[in-house]
Amino acid sequence: MAVTIAKERWTSKVNEMVIGVEPNVVKVGGDSTLPFLHFEGEMPNKPVVALEVWDMEPPDWPAVLTAPFAGVLGDPAAWAKKCVEYGAGLICLRLAATHPDNKDATPEEAAQSALKVAGAVDVPLIVIGSGVEEKDAAVMEKVGEALNGRKCLIGCATVNNYKTITASCMVNGHNIIASSPLDINLAKQLNILITEMNLAADRIAIDPLVGALGYGIEYAYSIMERSRLGALTGDKMLAMPVICFVGQEAWKSKEAKTEDNEEWGAQERRAILWEVVTATSFAQAGGSIFVLRHPESLKQFNTHIAEMMKPNNY
Amino acid sequence: MPDFLVEFDPDGRQAYISEQDNLLQAIAAAGIPLKASCGGKGTCNRCKTLVRAGKVKSAASGKLTEAELAAGYVLACQSTPESDLVLEVPEESRLSEHRVVLDGLPAGESNAILPEDEGLCKDGECDPLFKKIVVRVPGPTLEEAEDDLGRLFRVLRKQIGADHLRADLETMRSLPAVLRQSGWQVAVSLTEARGYKAVGVEEVEPDGLARKYYGLAIDIGTTTVVVHLVDLETGVSLGVKGTYNRQAIYGDDVISRIIHAVENKDGLRELQKAVLATINELTADLLREHDLKATDVRVAVCAGNTTMTHLFLGLDPAYIRLEPYTPAANSIPALRAHRVGLKIYPQAWVQCLPGIASYVGGDITAGVLVTGMAFSDQMTLFIDIGTNGEMVLGNKEWLISCACSAGPAFEGGGVRHGMRAMRGAIEHVRIAPGGMVVDFTTVDSAPPVGICGSGLIDCIAGLYSAGVIDRSGNILPDLKTPRVRESDEGMEFVLAWSHQSGRKVDITISEAEIKNLIRSKAAVFAGVNSMLKMVGLPLDAIERVIIAGGFGRYINIKDAVGIGLLPDLPLEKYTYIGNSSVKGAKMVLMFRRAREEVEEIARKMTYLELSAGNTFMEEFVSALFIPHTDLSLFPSLQPQ
Repeated sequence: MAVTIAKERWTSKVNEMVIGVEPNVVKVGGDSTLPFLHFEGEMPNKPVVALEVWDMEPPDWPAVLTAPFAGVLGDPAAWAKKCVEYGAGLICLRLAATHPDNKDATPEEAAQSALKVAGAVDVPLIVIGSGVEEKDAAVMEKVGEALNGRKCLIGCATVNNYKTITASCMVNGHNIIASSPLDINLAKQLNILITEMNLAADRIAIDPLVGALGYGIEYAYSIMERSRLGALTGDKMLAMPVICFVGQEAWKSKEAKTEDNEEWGAQERRAILWEVVTATSFAQAGGSIFVLRHPESLKQFNTHIAEMMKPNNY
Repeated sequence: MPDFLVEFDPDGRQAYISEQDNLLQAIAAAGIPLKASCGGKGTCNRCKTLVRAGKVKSAASGKLTEAELAAGYVLACQSTPESDLVLEVPEESRLSEHRVVLDGLPAGESNAILPEDEGLCKDGECDPLFKKIVVRVPGPTLEEAEDDLGRLFRVLRKQIGADHLRADLETMRSLPAVLRQSGWQVAVSLTEARGYKAVGVEEVEPDGLARKYYGLAIDIGTTTVVVHLVDLETGVSLGVKGTYNRQAIYGDDVISRIIHAVENKDGLRELQKAVLATINELTADLLREHDLKATDVRVAVCAGNTTMTHLFLGLDPAYIRLEPYTPAANSIPALRAHRVGLKIYPQAWVQCLPGIASYVGGDITAGVLVTGMAFSDQMTLFIDIGTNGEMVLGNKEWLISCACSAGPAFEGGGVRHGMRAMRGAIEHVRIAPGGMVVDFTTVDSAPPVGICGSGLIDCIAGLYSAGVIDRSGNILPDLKTPRVRESDEGMEFVLAWSHQSGRKVDITISEAEIKNLIRSKAAVFAGVNSMLKMVGLPLDAIERVIIAGGFGRYINIKDAVGIGLLPDLPLEKYTYIGNSSVKGAKMVLMFRRAREEVEEIARKMTYLELSAGNTFMEEFVSALFIPHTDLSLFPSLQPQ
């Protein structure tokens, strides 16, 4: 007996966001169905990976993670180039040095770092602050200005600092990352606040502050799934592509940080798997942009995505 | 152990307390009305008291300033005596005359829901819980020598159609003499008490000598207590008095009262005494004004939330607060006044209206009774907004209720310049775009001393439409107005400058307080939406909204919709009903049928426990926005 394939008819789709300038643009979103259901709707853009670059040497990365970047960790521009060699579709520059507990770098210094990285690579840029809301606002004002016209994706805007960051995006032509803690309503609220400042909805990416495998991944999964369902059923304020900061979460896990041991086996393989499994799970939930740390994770993730992007016409 | 004498100046009152007692207990004993929002935990700073003479030991000084400490101020709840004392309770610590909602609307406004007092008893249709009727009892003869009581009952059965009758011992003792002295024509007092099947014959008096008789309808609110003295023959309220609930000294809300009752040795008794004192004093005042005796009051009906009813009767409230939230009793049989402690006719029945659950009590069933929603086709939403928001949705087919903690903000708690709707409270606010100019009106047009619930709603609506705050309640950066400024507790907005204010300080609202209010309004709206979800109805299925409670009186419906506190329905669907709790109590007092109805309402009503399941939390977070994350729920607010 022939199997009848059930197909949903969706009324709406995810916004398509364009990051970077021709000829090196990356497009994400645009889906008119749930992830990878090519038989049901369009998935015009595949999930993309950005590798993380810091403006300072990361103090707590394990050796298995620093090894692929040996020699470039102190130089963001060289580090970014290395990432491109590894196949990164985008660079995600994390301005960790601006954190008051680190170097408390000034917004102007941060802007200089960003410019250096932008000058060193052709791929589009994601630039994020240190996570200190007030400082991030000040930093992104200057960074946005320095990168004027490059159509970067900058953040992370929260309900407490979105005003300044949104303004910087509008003036300088960037896209914005809107972060809210794992709640579909809070995500929607921030999107409303940002669009009410007249930044176009297709220039916003949702950061649902995901957790890694074993650290609340199910919750993040269901929030992402719900926001995708919202987007497909016509909720314009949930129709934004989702960015997942997987690297920072996966490499924070005990499983990634614990060194080789008999019970758990080799750290490198384990840590990379942790990052890859987290990322591929979120790809299934509807994530569009994946910020990873290890080049091997990028490779494995892309292999998986290539398989998933094959048409499955029934 | 010595007791210390504490004298209060200028009140001229005194109290004795031991060295272990704190000054708050002395103040309570002396009967000086004081706010202690936190219930004596030393956190609310509202029991500030000046030590004029003597020595005290203070465990903590809370947020008292250096200057206040130097001047001799202490927190009463944190201080114990070390000698005899003279204390002064400053004006700002006292509960000034409370603006109690005694009744419905002020004169001139129509009140379609309940005809006012004069109309309650038309065409002899009243059927109060206590009444006197005159009967003629045929005298005995040798042929027909039935006993006196049997003779009286036979006549009564015929006259009132009651099957079961019951007589008091006192009645039987006096019966033979009264019957014969009065020439066999007597006035018989009849009561019907809940939980007793029979009509009780309470008293027999010679016709013509019988005194008139009265009843009390009492609303026991967490904040205020209202008493109606009702002529049971006409249903007219001879007098109405209301005041703050004396329990206020033990905390602002039901939770802090329950904690006081549970955690202190005599806590429950203190709370019971406080509310009884409140009611008895109001009653005594009313009786004095009308030259009546306590024994003329022959029945009382009380409506209160579940906690208030428990504390009034001295029932253990501990489990109201603890999961799974079970009261000692929802449906309470009639009790004799002397057992309860009401200073009226000792044998009078006191009837408490039945509650539904720990947080939906007799005040709400009373309200539902008054609205008539339980017998109407119209889909009605009844909301009583106070510290707890209680709401009921339904019609004659079904009723569903829920309660959410709206927090004390609407009653002026948890907001630094918040206050109840008392003299000098800012009750209406208009803010010009950009927040440069603020117009406000105050209660009694007095210089502003704080802001009450209705003012706070206006304030949030005004700040948002003026572009001072965003939909999440954040004060926006880069505003040009001098009214927005940084303070110790974050950003704040100045509503009234010190030179305008009655307290010589700027009256402000902080960003944190704004967000707190948004949480309060979100809780109420989420409660409404959770009920609608539960029964699968859209918002516009609601055909009328009836608002009760003191705070509702002054509320600007348009602004309340604007901030997303109330559903976006045409304004003509909204009605304000006033103190529906006391109105319901009075209806029950005057109509036996109403008592049956209120019991039917209690049986019929479903209670939705919002803490079970995820619906409420989801609804709550989506309501944490001005007006709501789902803007389509508020079509009238969408830009045209």
